Amino acid sequence: MTAHSPRILIIDDEPQIQRFLQPALAASGYEPVKAMTGREGLAEIARRAPDAVVLDLGLPDMDGKEVLTRARAFYDGPILILSARDRETEKIDALDLGADDYVEKPFGVGELLARLRVALRHKIERAGIKPVIERGGFKLDLTLRLVTRNGEAVRLSPKEYDLLALLAEGGGKVLTHKQLLTAVWGPAHAEDVQYLRVFIGQLRQKLEDDPATPRLILTESGVGYRFGVE
Amino acid sequence: MTTGEPLRPDPDALLEEAARASRGRLKVFLGMAPGVGKTFEMLRSARRAKAAGEDVVVGVVESHGRQETQALLRGLEVMARQPMEHRGRSLLEFDIDGAIARRPALLLVDEYAHSNAPGSRHPKRWQDVAELLDAGINVWTTLNVQHLESLNDVVWKITGVRQLETVPDNALSAADEIELIDLTPEELRRRLADGKVYVPETARLASEKFFRLENLTALRELALRRAAQTVDDQLVGAMKRAGVEGPWAAGERILVLIGADAASSSLVRAGRRLSDMIGDAPWTVAHVERPSHPVLDEGAQQHLGTALKLAEQLGAAALILSGEDIVISVKAYVRQNNVTQILVGNRRFQRRRPFGRPSLTAALLEDSTGAALHVVTEAPQEQAPALPRRPRLAAGVNWRRYLSSAGFVAIATGIAYLLQARFADADLSMVFLTAVLASGVLHGLRPALLAATASFLAYNFLFIEPLYTFWIGSPANLLALFAFWAVALATGGLAGRVRDQASALSRHTAAITSLLAVSRRLSAATTKGEVAQAIADHVSAGVGGETTVLLPEGGEIAAVAGTPTLTPLGTSAMTAARWAWERGEVAGAGTGTLPQLPRTFYPLQGSRVRAGVVGVEHSAALTPEAQRYLTALLDQGAVALERAEFAADAADAEALRRSDRLRAALLNSISHDLRTPLSTVLGSATTLLDYGPVLEPDTRQDLLLSIREEAERLSRYVGDLLDMTRLEGGALVTRQEWTDIRDVLAAAIERVQRRAGNRRIDRDFPADLSLIQADPGLAEQAVVNILENAIAYSPDGTAIEVAAYEDRRGIVISIEDEGRGVPTAELERVFEKFHRLEEPSDRHKGSGLGLAISKGFVEAMGGQIAAASPIHDGHGTRVLISLPKPATPPEAAA
Repeated sequence: MTAHSPRILIIDDEPQIQRFLQPALAASGYEPVKAMTGREGLAEIARRAPDAVVLDLGLPDMDGKEVLTRARAFYDGPILILSARDRETEKIDALDLGADDYVEKPFGVGELLARLRVALRHKIERAGIKPVIERGGFKLDLTLRLVTRNGEAVRLSPKEYDLLALLAEGGGKVLTHKQLLTAVWGPAHAEDVQYLRVFIGQLRQKLEDDPATPRLILTESGVGYRFGVE
Repeated sequence: MTTGEPLRPDPDALLEEAARASRGRLKVFLGMAPGVGKTFEMLRSARRAKAAGEDVVVGVVESHGRQETQALLRGLEVMARQPMEHRGRSLLEFDIDGAIARRPALLLVDEYAHSNAPGSRHPKRWQDVAELLDAGINVWTTLNVQHLESLNDVVWKITGVRQLETVPDNALSAADEIELIDLTPEELRRRLADGKVYVPETARLASEKFFRLENLTALRELALRRAAQTVDDQLVGAMKRAGVEGPWAAGERILVLIGADAASSSLVRAGRRLSDMIGDAPWTVAHVERPSHPVLDEGAQQHLGTALKLAEQLGAAALILSGEDIVISVKAYVRQNNVTQILVGNRRFQRRRPFGRPSLTAALLEDSTGAALHVVTEAPQEQAPALPRRPRLAAGVNWRRYLSSAGFVAIATGIAYLLQARFADADLSMVFLTAVLASGVLHGLRPALLAATASFLAYNFLFIEPLYTFWIGSPANLLALFAFWAVALATGGLAGRVRDQASALSRHTAAITSLLAVSRRLSAATTKGEVAQAIADHVSAGVGGETTVLLPEGGEIAAVAGTPTLTPLGTSAMTAARWAWERGEVAGAGTGTLPQLPRTFYPLQGSRVRAGVVGVEHSAALTPEAQRYLTALLDQGAVALERAEFAADAADAEALRRSDRLRAALLNSISHDLRTPLSTVLGSATTLLDYGPVLEPDTRQDLLLSIREEAERLSRYVGDLLDMTRLEGGALVTRQEWTDIRDVLAAAIERVQRRAGNRRIDRDFPADLSLIQADPGLAEQAVVNILENAIAYSPDGTAIEVAAYEDRRGIVISIEDEGRGVPTAELERVFEKFHRLEEPSDRHKGSGLGLAISKGFVEAMGGQIAAASPIHDGHGTRVLISLPKPATPPEAAA
């Protein structure tokens, strides 16, 4: 943790949500800032340079995705989406537009704060990429392009490695199907989710202790995958 | 196919097999002549089947009084015949409906080629059998080979007896099994001599001729060949199904070229035999029409129509090619379709064509099309007297044309006679030429030629020396006269041909114009009813008399449009219409199904579905031209009906989509309204759980308050939803009792007081107010909903005024706020479900149900509710509730 307490901007028009998020964030050592509209939110991001942003998609003055797009033009810190389950496609759109993660309403404060911690750590990791990622018996050396499991080298195909590296570098960030497909197979295959199903399955077979209850590569149903961080 | 890969069964063959599986199986006992014992053998086999436990029923068997046949019938179930009245005589016919209702496993139907009594469902028994097979009943039947359509000519040539009862070849091909009942001709003649063969008395003479030894030998050969061929076909079919590799008469294609004369039908039959000989090769019957000579006289059209229809019956593709040069058209067709065998008649095509060009036969021989050429000897006089002739259309009209032309010549003769004193003989010829020209222009080619010759004779007789004889005296006169004849023939011929072509053209133009009008009217019609009426009008105007259009309605078809009027159809007409609808076949007059009806029923076959049926009353059989016009019209009509149907479907789909969108919006709204308070409750509660100890006491207090408020909000929302459900489900019961509205209002204000914040709620109640009959609970909820709405849409610190007063009819409650007001356009909709103004100033969003519920409750108590806005200088809203006074008896609870 850095010396000052991380500043978190909450953009949500529901005063009741602000009413419990503010004290909860303050109590866990963050400095909460609130914005009730999209416009106000963008101004706060520019002026206060928060360490992370929590953004509600349903804002009165402008669409949450619009806020996201505009913010990404000048802000590269983590942005967490608050979304209702009936806005599934909007959630995926938001992730594709550059959001780092999402939390579905209604949510417990503990879950939101956990996601926030991951996002913040990821931000720090991204600042100086760690060439080696370790998790339990799993070790990925990005410099050597080497994957070992309990000390033994694991043989991966180039596509499998690319996919794994992409997820691991995400550091727990949700990557949508589209993002993964575009990065590994190219834009022409952005909709071919079946590729992912096959390759993720293969990776889990090779890397997970129990492929049926994966801990390294986690599924976000209908959205994408993330790398298990803890 | 490549080697190594297993041969796959031919899918078409398998499909055919699948179609056959649900159909009944047909077995034909085939014989060469009457008396060989087909019926006998069939009954013996039937007895064996019955003994083996099969459900055998005799549909119809003619015993002709033979003892052994009758003995065999004993012990078998024999169906009763159906009496049919025909010209005062009562005929006993096979009862097809009874057979279908009885549904035996195996039905015996003797004499496949039998013609049914007029008035039966089908004219021919083989058509009855086809229906039985479709119904899934197995049928055994008997047939003599001479009754086969394609062998009709051959048998006639062999025996000199023309068979009137014929069976199309594909009716025999449909048989799953053929059993040949063979007997040596000598044995048969012996049986005939012993009187064991039934021969009707009237045919005794003919039969003497028929049963000659050489005839029987030839017929026996035909029967054997046909049976062998069917075995072949079945073998080929079985091998195809099994995926055994061909050759299956590979690539053989036959083209039969026919003219438009009496010999055409024989040529078609010859084509079928050729096709049979080379392994059931696909064959086409074609006629070449020359655009410059488009008009065939009615007789020729009739011949052509008959021949093309026969071709289709015998399994050929029938078509009309168009081209100025027959040879070029034929050669092009031959090349494009890989025709390997060409069949032509000798008479028509050996005729040399004008200007020294070779005959068609010669031209085809010279050209290297690669196709084998078969030339068949035609004998048009074969047109046996026994063949029923159709009444010739418009025969009388022709005579009138000739008479009129003769009249022109007579008038010309009269004028010339009067003028002869003043003019030279040569000039008089001009008068006759005028008559010839007039005949040509008005009546066409043939009358003009008649007029030319008549003029020649009259001119010669009356004006050329020696007078009053056909003798010609001087050589100069001879020359003049024959020159006149030649000129008259040429002029008349030219004029006549021009007239014929012009009239043909105008008929074509009329047909095209009419089709254009049809298409315009059809495209203007938007509903199926309008389309149906348009079809009825145009069909009636174009080709027939009374016309009815039937469209599907709930699994049945019903007459929906008619010209000149929509008259209900009789039972038999409906049967024919249903037949056309269910099978997609033409039925009624001029067809094989219910031909005794005055109308013909045509199915309207669209591109995807059958759209309906058109019933037309023909004054006479249709000419091919009229047939083409009708076909075009029906096609257009069917497509238009289909389009109307699609348009209706599209409208339905659009309505559904809209209501889906509405439902999605409602669901969205409900889920948002439920989830937001839940988020707050869950979030606040988890905050308290996780961070309770480190939070300030004030913050803890605030979070707890927030939980309570949101839980209350949720509870109200759920209550609203329940109220709405009760209202909509009709489950709302009002409990009317004597109520003081002031108490109701005070209670309502009390309930909303806490949420009102700094808004001031003013009361303006009179000291004296009548009691009314009302449900205090519902009334209070109605007022609470309006108050909550007023709070949500007016800023903090403003006033809300609640007033009550009495007027002539009842008590009026008035609730006014000082909010932004409601835009006039929205006023009417504020009482609608889930209607919400854009931005309530308070963050406590309502459910969008409150005012709808108020309205429902007030109306349930017999009252009325209305909103007005703006009320003070462009802002503020007033809601008025009026409840009836006791003088008015309270309305019954909903």
